[in-house]
Amino acid sequence: MDHFARLGLPAALDLEPAALDRVYFALQRQWHPDRFVGRPPEERSKASSEAAALNDAYRTLKDPLSRAFYFANLKGIEMPTDGKTIDDPDLLMEAMEAREALHDAETAQAVEALAAQARQDIQCALGSLGSLFLANDGAVIRKTLLRLRYLDKFAEEARARHTNLERVKA
Amino acid sequence: MAYSEKLIDHYENPRNIGSLDKNSEDVGTGLVGAPACGDVMKLQIKVGPDGLIEDAKFKTFGCGSAIASSSLVTEWVKGKTIDEAETIKNTDIAKHLALPPVKIHCSVLAEDAIKAAIADYRAKLSVKKDESKEAAE
Repeated sequence: MDHFARLGLPAALDLEPAALDRVYFALQRQWHPDRFVGRPPEERSKASSEAAALNDAYRTLKDPLSRAFYFANLKGIEMPTDGKTIDDPDLLMEAMEAREALHDAETAQAVEALAAQARQDIQCALGSLGSLFLANDGAVIRKTLLRLRYLDKFAEEARARHTNLERVKA
Repeated sequence: MAYSEKLIDHYENPRNIGSLDKNSEDVGTGLVGAPACGDVMKLQIKVGPDGLIEDAKFKTFGCGSAIASSSLVTEWVKGKTIDEAETIKNTDIAKHLALPPVKIHCSVLAEDAIKAAIADYRAKLSVKKDESKEAAE
């Protein structure tokens, strides 16, 4: 069963966060281990595996980026796995320049500006995915998802650097 | 996880960090990425008139194993011909640095980077040959 089906939701890129929370918490109550105390072992084990699968589904679908990767996978978009390298020059040049700029940024303010740009780029790329899936353009979807991976990594690095700079200041 | 001394040495004192002029005709540039972890690696070689690699530089944004792998490769290729440099295998890198299994992909990235740099240099060389042939005609 896929993560969308497990939560009783239609498979889609866009999910209303409140709706996702609602179905998740309702199902989580239904399968909560506390409700199975004193029940036969098969039922207890069924409840705990359901609860674990629900957590997994919720975690994957809650974050728009991981949801997009998951949705693409359901649609048969194959991404390079661990150990595979890519040589897309535009993407790598963008990633290299961004990381160099972050490396050279000396103040928390400068880092925050770069992070804000990355967040905006992520929103923009995520926003473009809907119509790409409608057009069923596998190559461009794949390219966009790879770019999202790099932007996400950049945002993570920027957060770490920001924390470090703030710590030095304090 | 215990890392080898060689790995830590290359990570803490990376050799040959920097850039060469990518537009120069005796410089080959390889730019590769590991999308699974968001790493990006640039490796450049400068080939002398005698056909030997006289300089190599790298810039890697990634984990310690990726930095150490690219640092090691720049050290290994200096003084070699591009044909010799091309025979460097990721397994040699992984073995030398004693990379743990989960970090083997970092050595794959370094192998692909040197191969890409050599391919870029060769492409420039063939353009140069074509141009001189045209000029002779």
